[in-house]
Amino acid sequence: MREIRWYYPENLKQLPDLLKREGVIPHGGGTGILRGSLNHIEGLIDLGNLQLRYVRYRNGKIEVGAGTTYADLIEHLSGTDPDHILVKALKAAASTPLRNRITVGGSAAFFPVWSDLMGPLLALDAEVTLTGEKGGSYSLSDYTKNGELRKMSLITSVQWKNKSWTSFYHRESRTKVDYPVFSISILLKVRKDTIEDIKIIIVGTARRFTQCLQIEESLKSLTLDQARIEGIGSKLDVQFTGRRNFSAEYLKHCVGIQLERGLKAILRS
Amino acid sequence: MEAVFRINGKEKTFSFDSDATLLAVLRDSGYTEIKEGCREGACGACVVLLDGLLINSCQVFAASAAGKEIITVRGLGDVHSPHPVQSAFVDSGAVQCGYCTPGMVLAAYSLLQKNPDPDDSEIKRALDGNLCRCTGYVKIVEAVRLAAGRMQGNG
Repeated sequence: MREIRWYYPENLKQLPDLLKREGVIPHGGGTGILRGSLNHIEGLIDLGNLQLRYVRYRNGKIEVGAGTTYADLIEHLSGTDPDHILVKALKAAASTPLRNRITVGGSAAFFPVWSDLMGPLLALDAEVTLTGEKGGSYSLSDYTKNGELRKMSLITSVQWKNKSWTSFYHRESRTKVDYPVFSISILLKVRKDTIEDIKIIIVGTARRFTQCLQIEESLKSLTLDQARIEGIGSKLDVQFTGRRNFSAEYLKHCVGIQLERGLKAILRS
Repeated sequence: MEAVFRINGKEKTFSFDSDATLLAVLRDSGYTEIKEGCREGACGACVVLLDGLLINSCQVFAASAAGKEIITVRGLGDVHSPHPVQSAFVDSGAVQCGYCTPGMVLAAYSLLQKNPDPDDSEIKRALDGNLCRCTGYVKIVEAVRLAAGRMQGNG
């Protein structure tokens, strides 16, 4: 039996040195770590004493501490904005006992293909604040694409502008309790019957996620009556890799249909 | 390594491997009311309350639970003095093979602590991490409803 060493830092200043150690990784809820092999892990940094479990409002932004669980965030946002896209998405994620354990920071760092968190956060143009070797604030989009940012650094918080959006979230899965093969997050802002802003993120594509910029641009500035949704799905420029149960072509077909349904639903609402 | 847990109201020191799950440590220490099912957080047989929150003990490292409060189904009540949720499961016929029952009872208890008067959709949602392969869930939902009523003095 190989011994894993546990570290229990009491403040963030202790983290950079710990993060530099070979084979030592942060431990938030631990659900992601337990899904993988422990063979390469020499040590685990327990983040439980770092006061990273909070939701607060600062400078027009919502800031969520990395140790905040899905259940915490659902409870908080349900009280202030029950139709928030994160409420819809996270309520559909995992199960009650797992939502009590999965942390926002761990999920953002790990970004599993089945994530119900990342689509909404990317649509919200979220930023992450890191401590460690690459300390600072970065867009979540850059963080997911740049592996260097993840080395020897830890997400301490995730934040996004506190704006009001109409939202739609869809997770495609074989059964309600299964992992999603892809998810669609749509945010919409309408002013005087005109589409002022729209964000569409698909998670689970070959590049992990795809922002549908062309479709977004084609819909902006149109009135709700002018927006034509039929056919948008078949023109969608998105690639999937085949899975055990779904071919890439089938997933592309499904995402097109679900995107059209989502756009119709959100424009109607 | 060693750690102290406060389990069912009593402080106790446990020795375990550094990569052991809370499930393994507690079962090896005699808390066999915590059932081992899927070992991947899908079935809910192993749930306990950790600092008041329902969690899958198979998905938690024991080392990360050091110093925390753990409640198993035995901590709610026993055959001589059952908790209203436990009585309601018996009275509703919500127990068949019984393997899922400790987890179901704890999930129901956890729900009723937060929401004393849940509707059926809230009950089903709170039990979404607990699988039962015998009952079809109808009697379990009835049991939670019955327990809620009794705990509010309506039973």
